[in-house]
Amino acid sequence: MNAILLSIIGAAILLDKYAFGEFGISQPIVSGTIIGALFGDIHTGIFLGAIFQLIFLGGLPIGRDIPPDGQAAGVIGCGSYFLLGTSNSAEYSLFLAVIFALLGAIIGGVLEIHTRRYNEKLHHIFMRKEHYLYLCHLSGLVTALMRTLCIFLPIFILSNIITIPAVFPQMNREILLIIGISIGLANAIFLFIKRTTIIYMVLGGLCGLALLVL
Amino acid sequence: MRLGFTRFIKILFSSFFIQTSWSFFSMQGMGFLFTLVSGAEKNQRDKIRKTHKGFFNTHPYMSSYIIGATIRAYDEGKSSPEKIKRFITITQTSFASAGDILFWQTIRPALLLMAAILSIKLGIIGPIIFIVVYNIFHLYHRIKGINDGYNKGWDVIYLLKSKRFTKVQHIFEILGAFFCGLLISLAALKINYLLLIPLTLLFTVLLIKRFWSMLIIITVILLLIIMVMV
Repeated sequence: MNAILLSIIGAAILLDKYAFGEFGISQPIVSGTIIGALFGDIHTGIFLGAIFQLIFLGGLPIGRDIPPDGQAAGVIGCGSYFLLGTSNSAEYSLFLAVIFALLGAIIGGVLEIHTRRYNEKLHHIFMRKEHYLYLCHLSGLVTALMRTLCIFLPIFILSNIITIPAVFPQMNREILLIIGISIGLANAIFLFIKRTTIIYMVLGGLCGLALLVL
Repeated sequence: MRLGFTRFIKILFSSFFIQTSWSFFSMQGMGFLFTLVSGAEKNQRDKIRKTHKGFFNTHPYMSSYIIGATIRAYDEGKSSPEKIKRFITITQTSFASAGDILFWQTIRPALLLMAAILSIKLGIIGPIIFIVVYNIFHLYHRIKGINDGYNKGWDVIYLLKSKRFTKVQHIFEILGAFFCGLLISLAALKINYLLLIPLTLLFTVLLIKRFWSMLIIITVILLLIIMVMV
């Protein structure tokens, strides 16, 4: 798939993050599935989406707090893995895709601040010209699209053309799974474990071990 | 007093855009005004546009309760704009805190945790269950919020004590803790379990301290170290 087309699709998916609806489509587990389906490898898309989901589970967008952009990381991780995979082996692609995703999460958080500053200008325009309410408000869709395109386009174009040299580290799915589970566990402990709920965690752990043995 | 189906749909659809123009200056101010103007009677629109130009911020799903109650206040025409503004100021923080805890901190991560486990074990069923179950709760609050806000008026704030907030939050906290334990089942028997314990402890400390950027950097370093070791 074309890097530009993938950037546009990714940007449209990420509108769900703030700009429209917040139905959960932009969550890495769903966006990973969509991107996987577009590239004809839905199982890898779901796996990568689930791992990025576990990594960015604890980012809470409460009030003015802007956590790293986990949703953008999900789209970048899955998209760049498939784009890199066209001219590189899976192990090399996976490592670089994870690095791109983590980088994208940080850049996404920074660009989020700039987007909100642009939206501030739209609000000032509205304060001067009240009848421009609809235009000023819905222009927020354009700023949201521009933010995500600014992150996706360079990374996806680079992923499309790059050939990874053999000296580069390789990474298999098991390593990613260990990191994903440990950050997922940390996120879940951070969010859910209290004195009243710890018994349910133990119960879940026992069920998990039973599932493993079976 | 009835809201009417057409106005209800207009409010519901425009409320999906409440955060579109989120800014540090007015936060959801323009989005709130956009939704109010879309749902208000034509003769009220100019008055609303002049009154509610400023700051507004609450949880996006919970905004429906406040919007419903505000539109009712304008339809009745008994309250002064200052009184309506005072009501909005009081309710927005209460609904914001209830919505943040209920959705961002409980329902969404619990369902995502479940979806992640299901997806790795069973494939596409995970994301499908997440989207369906999450949006049942999400759309329930959006739809019920507009109706309850309009029907109850200023008494809408007492809904924060209802079971749809307290009971649901309690159930999802339990589910989240259970899925947290169940996460261990994702690991295959052949991987080194000893790695999971120190890594989980390290990441938990980083999260509690809210060192998000540090967490990302350490993840990259650990990935490199583990790969060299393997």
